[in-house]
Amino acid sequence: MSIARDLDIILAHGPELSAGGLDYYKLGLWAAGLPKSRILALNPGLPAEELAQRLQAFLYRGSEHRVLLAALDPRLRARQIIRLLLEEIRINPEFLGVLDLQEALGYPDPQACSLKAHNLIRLAASMLTRAEPIVTRELPVNSRVLVWGDSFAALKAAVDLVNQGYPVLQAFPGPAFKPLIPGAPLTQPPGEELLQLTSQAQSHPAVQLAPQARIIEVQGSAGNFQVKLETDQEVRVETVGAMILAPEMHLQPGEAAASLSPHPRVLTQTRLEEILAAPEEAKDLLGPGAPSLQVAFLGADSHPLALRRALDAAKKFLARDDCRVLLLTRDAKVGVPELEGELEEAASSGLIVVKLPGLPALSLEGDRPRFTFFDPVMHQEESLACDLVILDEVYAPAAGNAAQAELLGLFPGPRGFFQVDNVRHLPVITNRRGICVAGPARGVMGLDQALAEADAAVSAVHQLLGRGRAEAPQGRAVIDRGRCVLCLTCHRLCPHGAVSWDNRAIINELACQGCGVCASQCPNEAIQIRNFTDDQVVAAMETLDPRLTPKIVAFLCQNSAWEAYHGALKMQQIVLPLGFTPLRMPCAGKIDIDYLLKAFTYGADGVLVLGCHSDNCKSQMGNEHALWRVERARTMLEEAGVDPRRLVFRTLAANAPRDFLAAVHHLAGLLQEVKAA
Amino acid sequence: MNNQTRYPVVVLGGGIAGIAAALELTRLGHEVALVEKTPFFGGRAAHLCCKATDVCQKCGACLVQERLKALFQEPRISLYPQTELLESSRQNGLFHLRLQQQPLVINPERCVDCGLCQEECPAATQGAIITTSVTQNHPRYAVDPAACLYFQDGSCRVCQQICPPTARAIDLEQPEKTMDLAAEAVIVATGYRPGDPACRSHYGYGRHPQILSGVELEERLKNGTGLVGPDREPPRRVAFIQCVGSRDLQHPYCSQVCCGYTLRLARLLKHRQPEAEITTFYMDLQNTGRDAPRLQAEAHREIKVVRALPGDLRAAADGSLRLRYLHEENAAAVEAAFDLVVLSVGIGPGADNAALAALLQVELTPDGFFQTSGRQQYTETSQPGLFLAGTASGPRDIAGCITQALAAARQASQYVQKS
Repeated sequence: MSIARDLDIILAHGPELSAGGLDYYKLGLWAAGLPKSRILALNPGLPAEELAQRLQAFLYRGSEHRVLLAALDPRLRARQIIRLLLEEIRINPEFLGVLDLQEALGYPDPQACSLKAHNLIRLAASMLTRAEPIVTRELPVNSRVLVWGDSFAALKAAVDLVNQGYPVLQAFPGPAFKPLIPGAPLTQPPGEELLQLTSQAQSHPAVQLAPQARIIEVQGSAGNFQVKLETDQEVRVETVGAMILAPEMHLQPGEAAASLSPHPRVLTQTRLEEILAAPEEAKDLLGPGAPSLQVAFLGADSHPLALRRALDAAKKFLARDDCRVLLLTRDAKVGVPELEGELEEAASSGLIVVKLPGLPALSLEGDRPRFTFFDPVMHQEESLACDLVILDEVYAPAAGNAAQAELLGLFPGPRGFFQVDNVRHLPVITNRRGICVAGPARGVMGLDQALAEADAAVSAVHQLLGRGRAEAPQGRAVIDRGRCVLCLTCHRLCPHGAVSWDNRAIINELACQGCGVCASQCPNEAIQIRNFTDDQVVAAMETLDPRLTPKIVAFLCQNSAWEAYHGALKMQQIVLPLGFTPLRMPCAGKIDIDYLLKAFTYGADGVLVLGCHSDNCKSQMGNEHALWRVERARTMLEEAGVDPRRLVFRTLAANAPRDFLAAVHHLAGLLQEVKAA
Repeated sequence: MNNQTRYPVVVLGGGIAGIAAALELTRLGHEVALVEKTPFFGGRAAHLCCKATDVCQKCGACLVQERLKALFQEPRISLYPQTELLESSRQNGLFHLRLQQQPLVINPERCVDCGLCQEECPAATQGAIITTSVTQNHPRYAVDPAACLYFQDGSCRVCQQICPPTARAIDLEQPEKTMDLAAEAVIVATGYRPGDPACRSHYGYGRHPQILSGVELEERLKNGTGLVGPDREPPRRVAFIQCVGSRDLQHPYCSQVCCGYTLRLARLLKHRQPEAEITTFYMDLQNTGRDAPRLQAEAHREIKVVRALPGDLRAAADGSLRLRYLHEENAAAVEAAFDLVVLSVGIGPGADNAALAALLQVELTPDGFFQTSGRQQYTETSQPGLFLAGTASGPRDIAGCITQALAAARQASQYVQKS
């Protein structure tokens, strides 16, 4: 049971509070009557020195100040006070509650405004008096970094890391570096800078190379991973503090290739590039005296970079006047810089682009391949014999990514790439701290972007490892070792791979992101999330004031709904139901069935649970957990004879305050129906 | 001349790229000045709507929100709203930037965002007092001296008089300020200008209320101002026309984002109003997002996708809009009626790009975007110490802008540490 401690309340009153219709004198008197609280009314417009003096004189002695700052738009208007409290008086940021009284201003009755404001203060005070300090502490971490892969992004990451003083272990599946330049012919030699990058990675003493490697096991978490690597010689365990995954893509035959047996007049894009790069072979195709050709490029529509490769080869044929070159494609994918211009240029030098709803049927007629298709421009069936057909190739993720993602505890990404398709992880982070992705690990992209992502990944690793020492909040999630029965529910559910165990579960403080999915699912109530403890949530629900109706308790995920709520407050002429009681949650996944049921026992008319949209949860599954619990609670309510319509779950985005209002009004409407029934 | 303030890095442009770059720079340990031409931060991306059906569609618009919040709480970023670059020179590697800040008429310490000033302003329709729907900004009102009557002839002081006596936040006599900043590195993140929907005159933009640009549709959905068809009901038949202001003679490039936002908006409309019939007219469907095949397959199930750009658009007597196009299967001319036509405008170069490039002595691409130097330098320019982030250097989506901003911040940080 947590203990309620002394609390200092600062009511920052500019002229604007009374402008909004609040009686802040009365508010001050009421707040002074809250348990364990003292109150200081302060004009934030005073000179900084005077502000500091008044704060010093007022605050409790010692370091454990719990301070609630209530104001209108405090982050802006009371910025100076916040700065003084945090920087000069150095109170723990977790002990500073900042409360915006905006919500109280909307009611026509000034008495209701003040009552509402008082209740907001009371709610915040109840959480804050039970707040416990979160102290960050420095943890020793391994400053070595595993770079997985041999793409140019991987090479850049490795070189940048060693230049910043982090030793690198670079492991990759092949016997030697074999990076691709996406969109360029495979035979094109890399430019000087890329060569330099390759030779630096190869020869830098701080880059340890592990060719022909395979990751077979991963233990530990951010700051201290043990990676079991298998190479052709040995199996060894390496300890690293972080990882950057950037395995190179490979080329796969496109769709058209499947239906065809090998034929000398049907070439893959790679084979064509090899021929064009070899002077002897190219002469037979393009040199003086070579026969005039009808060449068809097929597909090249998986990605703009595939089109770029096809155009590059097509140009060689177009340079000869007597070649007829076609591109049979579903879509001309030109969505990368300058490609539209290149396509236009090729078209003006003779490339015939035929766009079709599907790839044409290809048959062999004697020695020559023949296409049949319906030409939408000429409006007729076309049959086209070619001397040469070029089959496109698709950039595909490195083989084995999916298995590796599972080993690493990562949610799988789209189409075999790393990094789950969740915008919260953009651009380079994953659901596990300490594991970053860059470039070809997470999608097909040009070299420019891949290298930029390597930059971003190196920055992220640097911010985590800080040259050997990482700052971690201590005790954000706490396991009561007396209660833990080692069922490992937490270990299974933790989306961030932060839970391990000795003879009880252990939470890795560096990897934990404080979402609370574990705490609300723990069958023995052994986990508490600091400053979102069950005690605090219950104490907050106890503040429900019977005078304010309808009483709606809203559990708001801080990553979406809490922001949308604050956005809604700033919209013009917004009035929330008088009894609306917002409770901030670290993630919708923290919402316990107990909370939902207790809210009703404390007299709530309705309960609203708002989380992020599916696929948009920072902890990936938190919103799903919330939905399951709400559904479970609804059946329990029904069994208990409570109308389950009084409990509503909705998802929304941080930038959608209107969706927030719609949800509140939806519930308020339902409550009226329930009441009438 | 004011005293020169020195910053390691000055970021020009307070949109998503500029904000992401500035925040990353503070994480890397630098003080930053963030200069924004308009009174409000957040840029164009902050006006985009969430396109989630019930499932997130990964447009990235919500990413702006948390970064904006962090921006206003970050003490190491100095904000310069309503400020433009006047002059720039370099001495001993340092950039000397002369900035001009419009008079900050509304005092943020006193304003309560009540909006009375805008309601009462006689020149509000001319844009004398502007406001923003990006609610993290404060104040959310600003006086534009170019349209304000007071700044023209001193004839009007309505806003100052009407401002509630408890607030008294407006002081029209605030002076215009000229500031000199010195910076070791500069990041240009000045963004883009949406394609002009009127550039294809045969689509009749501006002549009919049922023809919107993609940007307008986003704003209406975001602000909840709603969509109304000719019969006062929500529009049931909606057409999107792609490549307006992209891939033509004047704009020989693909804007990269329009196919993506069109499919997402179309799915959102369909989700909100399942009986709606939505058609997209396109040339080539570009890849959209990280899981493009899935999004496109889902979109194909819900909406009609037609490869044809309509040649003709006219208003019919019943209030609908008639589009004529060639059917892909049989090449026959088809006429179809719609209640709402959305022109999917692309990303055009920023209006000030030419002037800015001249001031900063860097080159523009033939299309009018800032030129990156070399092929492998995603953020660098021909000026050492001058970096690019976001759509200043060409079309990209929100995620792409953030990536490039992070890279630019790291490059700038390394440049500052070296020099």
